[in-house]
This record gives sequence, C-alpha cells and structure tokens, in this order.
Amino acid sequence: MKVTRRDFFSYCTGAAATLGLASTLAPLEKALAASSGPPVIWIKGASCTGCTVSLANRISSTAPVDLADLLIHTIDLVYHPVLMGAAGSLAVQTLQNAAAGKFILAVEGGIPTLYNGATCTIYSQNGVDVTALAAVQQLAPKAAAVLSIGTCASFGGMGAAAPNPTAIKSLSAATGVNTINVPGCPPHPDWIVWTIAQLLAGVTPALDSNRRPTTLYGQTIHSQCSRRDSNWATSLASTGLCNGNLGCKGRQTHADCPTRQWNNDVNWCVGTVTSNGNGTDSLCQGCTEPGFPDKYAPLFSTLGATPASDHKVVDHTTCMTCHTSGRPD
Amino acid sequence: MAQITIVDPVTRIEGHMKVQVTIDTVGGKQQVTDAQCTGTQFRGFEKILAGRDTKDAPYVTQRICGVCPVSHATAASIALEHAAGVTVPTNARILRNLVLGANFIQSHILHFYLLAALDYITPPASAPWTPTWNVDLMRSSSMSQIVTNFVTAVTMRREAHEMAAIFAGRMPGLSGIQAGGFTAKPTSSMISAFTGYLNTLINFINNNYVPDAQLLSNTYSDYHSIGKGPGNLIAYGVFDLDDTANPAKLLKRGVVYNTAPTSVVTLSTANITEMVTNSWYDNSTNNLNPTKGTTITVDPATKTTAYSWLKAPRYKNLPCEAGPLARMWVNGSYRTGISVMDRHMARALETQKVADAMLGWLSSLKVGASEYTPVTAPFSKAGEGLTEAPRGALGHWLTTAASTTLAPNGTTAIGNYQIITPTCWNASPKDTNGVRGPIEQALIGTPVSVAAQPVEVLRVVHSFDPCMSCAVHVMRPDGKPVTVINAQPEF
Repeated sequence: MKVTRRDFFSYCTGAAATLGLASTLAPLEKALAASSGPPVIWIKGASCTGCTVSLANRISSTAPVDLADLLIHTIDLVYHPVLMGAAGSLAVQTLQNAAAGKFILAVEGGIPTLYNGATCTIYSQNGVDVTALAAVQQLAPKAAAVLSIGTCASFGGMGAAAPNPTAIKSLSAATGVNTINVPGCPPHPDWIVWTIAQLLAGVTPALDSNRRPTTLYGQTIHSQCSRRDSNWATSLASTGLCNGNLGCKGRQTHADCPTRQWNNDVNWCVGTVTSNGNGTDSLCQGCTEPGFPDKYAPLFSTLGATPASDHKVVDHTTCMTCHTSGRPD
Repeated sequence: MAQITIVDPVTRIEGHMKVQVTIDTVGGKQQVTDAQCTGTQFRGFEKILAGRDTKDAPYVTQRICGVCPVSHATAASIALEHAAGVTVPTNARILRNLVLGANFIQSHILHFYLLAALDYITPPASAPWTPTWNVDLMRSSSMSQIVTNFVTAVTMRREAHEMAAIFAGRMPGLSGIQAGGFTAKPTSSMISAFTGYLNTLINFINNNYVPDAQLLSNTYSDYHSIGKGPGNLIAYGVFDLDDTANPAKLLKRGVVYNTAPTSVVTLSTANITEMVTNSWYDNSTNNLNPTKGTTITVDPATKTTAYSWLKAPRYKNLPCEAGPLARMWVNGSYRTGISVMDRHMARALETQKVADAMLGWLSSLKVGASEYTPVTAPFSKAGEGLTEAPRGALGHWLTTAASTTLAPNGTTAIGNYQIITPTCWNASPKDTNGVRGPIEQALIGTPVSVAAQPVEVLRVVHSFDPCMSCAVHVMRPDGKPVTVINAQPEF
C-alpha cells in the first residue's frame, strides 16, 4: 500500500492550516509529486505498547481520519509486531525485504543493555534470539529517518527510572544515530502521525535541543493552560484552579495538550472545563520531558515558587472583573 | 516426521514472549507434544517502585501495560488504601468501575478483531495485515461479516477509550485514579456524553461482537475441544457494588479446581506462591508468597536450565488460568466448557455483561460530588490490591517505609512491591515440581496441519489474550533443530 497522494495532500493541507504553516505547503506538494513515501518499520523495545494503543486512538477531520485510514491509505506500515498479520519467519522476511531498501524506522520502547540486551529479545533469526539492542543497531544506521516514538525510546523513560534495573538507554544513545523524538507517555496520536507525515514527504521538521519537533513541543503546558491565571488549588479535584502548588509539572513540560486535547477532544490530564463540561482536575506528570519520571519524583512534589511572570494569580473571590463578566470561581 | 520451524515473533500480542513447541505425529495425527512459554522481556518495575513516594504507585504501575493501565492504577490505589485502612467514597468507586469497564470493552474488542480474528479470516489486503499465513482461513463465506466489522471495530475501541477519558483525563496514561479516590467530579454533561458512547458500544456489542464470536465458535467448533489447559481457574473479582470492606462484586472472587468444576472455593491469597526454578531469578527467592516476595535477576547465560523472565505463580502449588473465562465461570455466568472457543465466547459475553451493568452505575452517580481525599499510608504497613485486568487476575502487594531520596520530606515511601500479572499466571513456565503453566498445558495435544505455519498454535496462545509478544519455536522431539524452514537472511 502506497501513500495516496490525494489523501496525503489533503491531510497535510489540513494539518498545515490548523498549525498555521501555510509556508510549508509548497515543499510538501513538490515532495509528493516525486515520491509516494518509503515503508515504515515499527520495532518494539522494552515497552508497554501504550504508544501503539495511543496511535490507535487517532481521530481527525482530515486524512488520515483514523487508524484504519492511516494504515490503508497513508503509510505502508510493513512491520508492526502488535498489528501485523504475519508471524514468525514471514514477519521477519517482510522486515528484511523492507530493510533492504529505503525505509523509515520507528521505535517504541527503551533499549535494555543489561546482560548484552538479553532482558528484551524481539524475534529470532536463524534460530538465534535477536535482542532489541542488536536489532536497532543493525537497522538505525540504514534508515532514511529514525523516529523515537514515546519517552522511553526518546530519553529512556519509565523503564530507565532509578535504579534502571535493565540499564535501558534511549534509542539514540544505544545506536549513536540521531533520532527525531516524539516523546510522551504516551505521545498524542496526532504527534506521531504529523511527524511521520512530514518524513514521508521528505520534510525534516524543525527540532528543539531535545530533538522534538518545535511545532508540537515548542511551548510549555502552563503557558497554554486555561487555568494559568486562576487561583491556586489546595487539593486536586478543584474545578478550574491551577494545580501548580500540588505537583503539576506543566511549567517545565513542553507539549500542546491544553490546546490539542486528548481522545477526540474529550479531556486531558489536568483537565479543562471545556464546552462539554469535562474536567479531570489532576496533574501534568511531565511525561514529554527528558528525565521523566525521576526528574519529577515524587510526582506530587512541586517545582518551587512560580515566577510572577509565569502566573498572574487572580483572587476570584475579590476580582470584580471576573465576577461582573460572569466567570465562575 | 517431525520437522522444525522457527516462528519468531508471534505477533498480535502485547509485549514480548516466545513459545517453544515440539510437534510430532501421535496416533496418525500431527500435534503438539511439548511446549515451553518464555517471557522475553524484563523491565524490573518492582525494583523501580521501591523507595518511591507511595502516591506515585498508580502513575508508575500503569506504565507496565499500555493496554490495561486502568487495572494497574486501580490495583495500586487499592493496595495503598488497604495499607492506610481507608475505603473510597461511593462516587469514586462508581467512577473507577466506569473507567475500568470502558477499558474492558476497549481491550476485548481490540483482542477479538485486531489480534485474534486474523487467525481465522482473510485480512484487509494491505500492510500491516497482509501478508499472513493462509492456512484454514474463512471456513465459511458467512465469516465475511467479521471482515466487514473489522474496520468498525477500530472505531469502536477508540470510542471506548474516549468514553473512559471523559472521567479519566486521557487514555492510555490516565490521571484520574489516585489513592484515595477519583479526581474528576462528574457533571451532568459528562454523564450524558459517557451514556452516548456507551449506548453506541452496547449496540455494537449486541449486534456485532457477540454474534461474530458466536459465528466463529460455530464455524470452528473443533476448537471447543482444543486448548483446555489445567482446568483450574482463578478470579480475584472486580467491579465493587458497595462501599464495605468486603464488597459484593459484579464478577465474583474465587477459585475452581479441575477436580470439582462446579464448586467455587473461597480464595485466600496466602495460598499464592511464585516459583522461580525455571525463571531467570535467584533460586533463594523460590516459592515465596507475594507479601514476602523479592526480585533478584540472574544473567540468562548463567542459569541455562531456566527459560523465562516470568515467575511461575501457583495456587496451592497448582497452575491456574486467569481471564474472562475464569471470571465468568467462577461467577456462574458461563460454564459451557474450557477451550479456545469458550474463551472467545466468555470474553464476548463478559463484555456484554459489563456494558449493561455500566448503564446502571451511570444512573447512580451523584453530580458534582467530591470523591477524592489524598491518602498517605503510615510507615511499616502492608497493603494488598486485588483487581482484574481485561486478561485476568491482577495483584499488587506492597509495604511502606520511611522516606528516601525519591520520597523526601517525611512522605511515606514504598518498601517492597510485588506484582503478579494475569499473563504471569497464564504464560508461566514450569514450576519447581516440573508442572507446566496453563498455556503450555493448553498447547499440548493441539493438532497442527502445516508445521511450518502452525496457525493452530497461534489460536491457542491468542485465546488467552496474553499481554506479551510471543515467539514460537517448533522443535524436534529430541529438542535439536535439524532444519530451519524459512530461515531469515541477514540484513
């Protein structure tokens, strides 16, 4: 299955319009005219499959509208151990055929190095168990682009938390290959789809110092949060209040969750009282950042005093602006 | 004549696992005569949890599994509440049931259509579903209805997650379930949105999923006598129906022995031990109850008699099957048989039962009621959290200790943490007594038509919905490979 140019261009147009990136349309159009995009090989290292489950939650008004559309019309996902029909040698043959040509490598999960990687073997070749470590060291240098899907592949993530029992490394540290990182525990399906779409079109997105696309990870959660200037909450389950003093990591965490929302716009971790009234009133866990989770442990610890520039505390019990405009406290 | 195929990986399973199968001809019929299950991934969550703030446990443990994070967050919360001696408010109990129920629906639909059905149907003609083994597929033209519903199922499982996220925050990786309750306050519009999703899903379950499972069960009726396993069933029970310390449950707790399949025995977790004789853990940790358990790995190269990263949990020294069939059997809701097809039927009927119950729970939610009080367990306490993941009984056991660097400022830290997952029950290796685990036992006797493409082995393994990726090594009776069919070239 090749990229359907019409669908793909439609997606890129929609995405670009949504993100205000009209200037990127011309190169995309040019790339699509020349190529239908290389196949994608998706390898799972030491992972929980949460990234794949999140990808399956893709839903959009623009193509690919969902997982089925993505797989049937947009990307040629030749190898994915959870989704593929083939098993065993047929699966590995498919992987090998794709790896002989131009391909994009996507890796979900960290790369264990304890016992030479023996705590995670992912397939066998000529009767020998192949570790995730050996597999990515073979594949990554040959790939046209290498994607770290999720925080484990990007930075080590939960599996690398102290005492890092299996000596997990990030994909780039394990292979020496520069990766494009799409962190999140899990990452939003739109972040995965957007980044793969860029690469299929031959476009390398602008990256920050942690090699995350700036389009997706350019701003902090806090700076986009509707609770930013609200009163401090003294307990979770405080509708609409800022959880910064309770351990919310939004001030240091880069992602667009507050504006993008999750699961077809129904909610997100901190929770916004949206037009449909949903609100979870919990914490941003800092899951897109290097060092997650230890950098933020305990997860209910606070980041310290919030600079005044970062939070204009409004006391809604006295603020007549809000009261007169009908804003709920 | 026996021949060797190396099939690795077995796909459409969460995680990493391998099953080694011996195939021989017995009584004129080619079949599996021996089997070994190997968990090929170890991440050491129990070690990661030690020393952390107790309140981090629901966040950390959900990362064990992206398919059943709700169950881990629930088990961790229950264990901490048990250690602190508290129960959660009514609304929190109901919200947890609703989010957990939503994830049961998500997981069961995902399993039937996207993971298991491809062992029986000709899949959509594109990657990643094609190519596939083409052995004994589509026995009946009526099975085209399952192919048709395949794409709809992608939508349905996504919507089940959206339904969960209304209260949970996001799925997977939820933030709503915490020790001490549930952070979301339900509003009437949240309840209304949840109800809308649930009615759509109930419609799909009643009109598509259950009929499709029944069709598969009828069409492949020989699989009602394939893949039984030990016949011992274990269920911790799930979906609390009241706020007492020992609540009634929608799906009851209990154990059923193969020797007396109609009598349900009261479960006592004191009877659970984990054996490590054939696992890559230090033998000094053998046969411990999870309240005393510890996790000390050894290099596989130095313990060559072992063959798995999974420990072997046993109940009174017996291997037990966990999962929807065990739950429905213990509950008295499904007792037709124990087999590949009975697992699919029990899973489908359980989905229906849970979804129907959820409608009732929604109507008893109190709008806007507070249901979260942070819990800090005191030092030197023990907690046990028993619940069910979609694929079977899940237990967390912990002790609390004084503060550490990861739990500073007088907060309570986790001392020891032990987790027994449902797949640990089902895919366990041989125990100290040489008794095989449930999937190993279920595989023995399974007929295999084409040894190079043993789809029958996949069907047995997939019926348990293991939370791992499997590899299947098919070996000669003497265990030595003589030929390798479809050897994989270097790349």
